Amino acid sequence: MTMTTDAADATGSPGDSPDEEAQPTTSWVHRIGLDRFSGLYLLAAFFIFFGLTESNFLIWNGSIEFVLTEKVIVVMLALAFLVPLTTGTFDLSIGATMALSLVIVNKMALETDLPDGVGALVGMLACLAIGAINGFIVVKLRVNSFIATLGMSQVIAALIRRIHDGGNITNAFGERYINFGKSSLFSFKWPWSDTIIELPYYFFFGLFVATMIWYVLEHTPVGRKMFATGGNPEAARLSGVKTDRLSWGSLIASAGIAGFAGLIYSWKFATYTSSVGPPLLFTAVGAVFFGASQLKGRPNVWGTIIAVYVLAFGIKGIGLRYPTEIDWMQPMFEGLVLIIAVAVASRQAVVKVNRRKPTSSDDETSRAVEHEVQPSPLSTLSNEHPPPETHN
Amino acid sequence: MGASHRWGRFVSNLLVVRDLTKSFPGQVALDNFDIEIGAGRTHALVGQNGSGKSTFIKILAGFHQPDPGSVAELAGNTLHLGDGDEAEAAGVRFVHQDLGLVDTLNAIENISMGAGYTTGLFGRINWKADRQRAADGLEALGFGDVNIDVPVGALAPSEKTAIALTRALFDWEDKAHLLVLDEPTASLPGADVERLFSAIRLLKERGVAILYVSHHLDEVFEIADDVSVLRDGKRVTTSPTADLDHNRLIELMIGHKLERIEHRSVAKVGETAGLSVEAIRGGTIGNLDLTVQPGEIVGVAGITGSGREMVAPFITGQIPSESGNVIVCGTPIPNYDPHAAIQAGLAFVPADRASQGIIPLESVSNNLTLADIGRNWRGGRLRHSEERAETGVWIDRLQIKTAGTEIPIGALSGGNQQKVLFGRTLRLTPRVLVLDEPTSGIDVKAKEQILTLIDEAAGMGAAVLVVSTDTDELVQVAHRIVIMVGGTVAAELSGAEMTTEHVERAQLQSMKASTS
Repeated sequence: MTMTTDAADATGSPGDSPDEEAQPTTSWVHRIGLDRFSGLYLLAAFFIFFGLTESNFLIWNGSIEFVLTEKVIVVMLALAFLVPLTTGTFDLSIGATMALSLVIVNKMALETDLPDGVGALVGMLACLAIGAINGFIVVKLRVNSFIATLGMSQVIAALIRRIHDGGNITNAFGERYINFGKSSLFSFKWPWSDTIIELPYYFFFGLFVATMIWYVLEHTPVGRKMFATGGNPEAARLSGVKTDRLSWGSLIASAGIAGFAGLIYSWKFATYTSSVGPPLLFTAVGAVFFGASQLKGRPNVWGTIIAVYVLAFGIKGIGLRYPTEIDWMQPMFEGLVLIIAVAVASRQAVVKVNRRKPTSSDDETSRAVEHEVQPSPLSTLSNEHPPPETHN
Repeated sequence: MGASHRWGRFVSNLLVVRDLTKSFPGQVALDNFDIEIGAGRTHALVGQNGSGKSTFIKILAGFHQPDPGSVAELAGNTLHLGDGDEAEAAGVRFVHQDLGLVDTLNAIENISMGAGYTTGLFGRINWKADRQRAADGLEALGFGDVNIDVPVGALAPSEKTAIALTRALFDWEDKAHLLVLDEPTASLPGADVERLFSAIRLLKERGVAILYVSHHLDEVFEIADDVSVLRDGKRVTTSPTADLDHNRLIELMIGHKLERIEHRSVAKVGETAGLSVEAIRGGTIGNLDLTVQPGEIVGVAGITGSGREMVAPFITGQIPSESGNVIVCGTPIPNYDPHAAIQAGLAFVPADRASQGIIPLESVSNNLTLADIGRNWRGGRLRHSEERAETGVWIDRLQIKTAGTEIPIGALSGGNQQKVLFGRTLRLTPRVLVLDEPTSGIDVKAKEQILTLIDEAAGMGAAVLVVSTDTDELVQVAHRIVIMVGGTVAAELSGAEMTTEHVERAQLQSMKASTS
């Protein structure tokens, strides 16, 4: 379709008339940032409510430290999903990839005399190889990324079973390896209580990785090109963007980040169980989409991190308040928060696009081409990987 | 008004509208608009984007309510404007540009969706009756050969249009009809347009009145009996088409004469060619050789299927060619590699703005800087404020109408999106500029601005290749026009020979020669 103006001019839906411009220009929801900052509002509400009603909630050792450190793993997994998503590529194999690095590092620590760090390195290399294979399947074989990585997820699961028969591995690591990730970077005593504030190294490793991803996505040409690829792969390619290379690279990066999530797990829990990895996929993917409704209207690093912690602290509070019900309330809560946050943000985005139409008397400029602008924050979803070139 | 006097000579008007005003906050879209459409006549409605023609159609269809005070009659009966159901019942039917067909259903099912399924006992669909209705309806439009059993997605564009027409007019035997055709040829290749026109002529013979809305003035002259021109919400004139010519019609639409642009650019012959294309082969192109000198604007004309539509995609690496070389200022560029082409100095505006040009959700600024983001990357950081400032400069220079640099480009009109894409390429200060249908779907004023930009680019020394189905535009802007026929360059025109008539005759004459 080349006739976008005409389409809007002649067949546009009744919603694109200038009527909307007469409406109040800012809703209160938008003014106080309830759309873009809904996560932060929710987080504040949880702290106030559970802080007042549950004596254990606001205590550092009671829940805060635990949630902050444990969820670094989910943050990493969510960022692993986010990176290829910016180029319009799905990576559903991240959960399995995380489990792969975890099983390798445990198994090598258990069964070889090599330093544990070597196992970590081998685990990371294996994950990067998985990412490279994913990229090959998506870019060269032109398999839809959703299908390719879904299939790869099972392939990795098979590899893991081949490596290890399924039982738990515990206490495989030496002290040096655990201390490398787990010792505290700093500690200080809270002035008016006995609580000692400590955060382990791996928390800051995670923070560093997140900052790097944010920097690349938002402040470098590479990131800009990744979002362009996700937004319209063919237009990006014709503008000189090497879209295949970016998709491929983003899949390698996501596998690497997922592998690192496995290492953080090994530092935090020092165990391997077969239930680690894939079950975290929903939480991670959900956080990316919830996070896309935060801060800006597209998937982004800090929004994703906010989303992970909003969900985690909410679940922690519910768990303290209804300890016997948390089993079913956790998925209910995760699902509802995701849907509601995205619904609020989508509604706001629609209003915003309509409002932003210039009020020039020449209505040529004022036609929002609504069939083209899908103002949902999730609209990168609608862009699949470019199909194979067909010509005749 | 003189025009309405002229209308007195028609015996019957099917639709009469008087004093139709529609105001939106801050603007009047239609200002005391009158129109009369004769029974069995084809009436074209033309005007620039924003002139109010879409508002009129939307009022007819009941999407908008008119301001009080308007009067309308359809076949002698009062018609309440703004009531879509009443208009539908009275026989006003619409076929919109996107047709509204379900691609996965066949013609019978698509037609029955509009006309209502014929049902028998227990609500069972009477497929035999529905099949008959579909076949008869298409037969009556001269489309009796359409396969009504396959999903319509597999049919030719003109066949799909015929199915949409059949659906809109399923009860045409029973009552008078006004058919509103809204840009019906926008997605039709050349040969299909002719088939659609024969169907329209058949409808006319059956007494269906047609309101034909189009940007393509050639079509207006070919198919319409009468034409009404809208400008700024007012009817400027209504006249039999035969009393107007092309230039006069444009003048009426834009309110002033369309000037052939004064070339400031001059071809610098004798230097290294800016662009050479050697023996390109593939798709509909059998063999293409082409040279464009720095400072020269070369137009490429040709009917659809002549290879014209693949010239730019092969040169720019959008699709892979089978063989041949593209050389940009002495540097051969690899096949199927837009990145390498851009590095060599070739910038490109693709034909399909929506699918190949814009990143709809990204900002105007991000779209404009996409082809060279690195320019504002310094000290390890993208300088967002410099990007915005640079974009602001381009917005001024290209007269882009936008509410700012950070709004999504998808919210701009087509003409302004196209200007942003021009900004994206001109910002590269290209040595070779390849433009594929640079003004498709944009209005006359934006088109003039874009043609001026093309000349300016050539004036700065770029070798410019313009591929277009709009012959007038090529004649206006090019130094020289090559005509594609049967997959190769069949003729070349320049100087005084380069007129619309000559170009169009060359396209068609050579076609006869090549088919005989």
